Amino acid sequence: MVEPHRHTGVFVSRGKEDALVTRNLVPGKTVYGEKTVKVDSDVPDGEKIEYRVWNPFRSKIAAAILGGVANIWMQPGSKVLYLGAASGTSVSHVSDLVGPEGVVYAVEFSHRSGRDLINMAKSRPNIVPIIEDARHPLKYRMLVGMVDTIFADVAQPDQSRIVALNAHYFLKTGGHVVVSVKANCVDSTAKPEAVFAMERERMKEENIKPQEQLTLEPYERDHAVVVGEYRGSKKA
Amino acid sequence: MPQLFVLFENASGYGLFEAVEFDDMSALGSQVAKTVDDMSRFGKVVKLTAFQPFTSAEDALGNINDVSEHVLNETLKKFLEMNLPEVKAGKKPKYKLGVIEPKIGTAVQEELGVPCVSNETIFEVVRGIRCHLERYIKGLEGGAMAKAQLGLAHSYSRAKVKFNVNRADNMII
Repeated sequence: MVEPHRHTGVFVSRGKEDALVTRNLVPGKTVYGEKTVKVDSDVPDGEKIEYRVWNPFRSKIAAAILGGVANIWMQPGSKVLYLGAASGTSVSHVSDLVGPEGVVYAVEFSHRSGRDLINMAKSRPNIVPIIEDARHPLKYRMLVGMVDTIFADVAQPDQSRIVALNAHYFLKTGGHVVVSVKANCVDSTAKPEAVFAMERERMKEENIKPQEQLTLEPYERDHAVVVGEYRGSKKA
Repeated sequence: MPQLFVLFENASGYGLFEAVEFDDMSALGSQVAKTVDDMSRFGKVVKLTAFQPFTSAEDALGNINDVSEHVLNETLKKFLEMNLPEVKAGKKPKYKLGVIEPKIGTAVQEELGVPCVSNETIFEVVRGIRCHLERYIKGLEGGAMAKAQLGLAHSYSRAKVKFNVNRADNMII
C-alpha cells in the first residue's frame, strides 16, 4: 500500500514498517542499492508502479519531511538548484519528486563524488549535473535557469553567503531556500542553537526571510534545516 | 543618456539586449523587481538586439570554457563587433555594454574599446532576461532551453572530471 504524503510528489509506503518513498522516474533502476516497493498500476492492465525508499538517515530532506517540515518547496514541475549534490543519492529522490516536468541543477565541487553524480544523471534527464564550485556561481551561469527553490547542503562556514550569492543570480522573486545547517561546520565552538540563530540573521541580511527552522534529530545530530523566502512580498 | 546594451550568455548561445529605460533602476527600489518579474513590462524596457546560437555541442563547450575562465574568445568578439554600434577610432562610444561578470567586461573594454559596466542594475536586468529568455528567442520554448543546458552541463562536467589537475582527488580506493 502506497499513499500520497502531505507534500505533493512524496509518498508513504504502509507495511510492517512505514517508509517514505518517491516514485521511481526510471523504473527498474536503483541508484544506491535502496529498496523498492512495487504496487499495481492505477489503470487496468497498466505496468506496476515502482517506488524507491527514501532513507532519512541518508538524506536531510527526507529527515526534514519526517520531522514535519511545513513545506519543502519542491513538488512535481519544480525547478531546484541543489548545492552540495555529493554522489547524488538525495538528488535522485528530488529528481523523482519533481518528475519529468521539473529540473534539478545539481552542483558538486568534489570530482570524486561528481563522477558518481554524472553517471547517475545519465539515466535521469531532469538532472543537470554541474561539477563546479558553488562559491563561484558565475562559472556556471550558462547552465542554470531561474529556479523556484535552492536547496543547500554544503557544510561550509560561509554557507549563508554561498546560498545568497546563488539566490541573487538564479532564484526567482518570492522563491525559497531550504538550507541544511550543520552547527559544527559553521562554528564548532558555539552552541548549536546560537549557530542556527546566527545563520538566520545572516539570511535576513541577504533579503532572505527565515520562515521555519527544524531540528533533524533523531536522524542527524546538531543539524537544522532553515527555510526562508527570497525577496518576499513586504505585506506577507 | 548613453545607450545601454546587456550581454547574456546561455547554454544555447549569446544574446545581446538593449535596455531602453533601465538607466535609473536603483532609484526605483522595489518597483524594479516588479518590472523584472512581469514580462509585459519587462519586454517594453529590455529588447532583444541579437542572438547567435552555438553551432554545435563542441562549439558550446568551447564557449562555456572560455566564458567561465573570463576569456573573450573569437566567437564572442565577432558577435559583439557585429551587433554593437561601430566604435570609430579616436571617438568615445555613445553606449555602454552591461556584463554580469566584471572580468569579461575588462577583456571587452581592452580589446574592443567598448566601455563596460557591471552593477546592481545590470544584475537585475540579467535576472529578468534569465526569467523570460524563452519568450525572447524563438525556438527555445517547450524545453529546448532545458535540453541545451542538460547537454552542455554533461559535456562541461565530464570534461572537468576528466581533466582534473588535482590528481589527489582521483584516488581509487
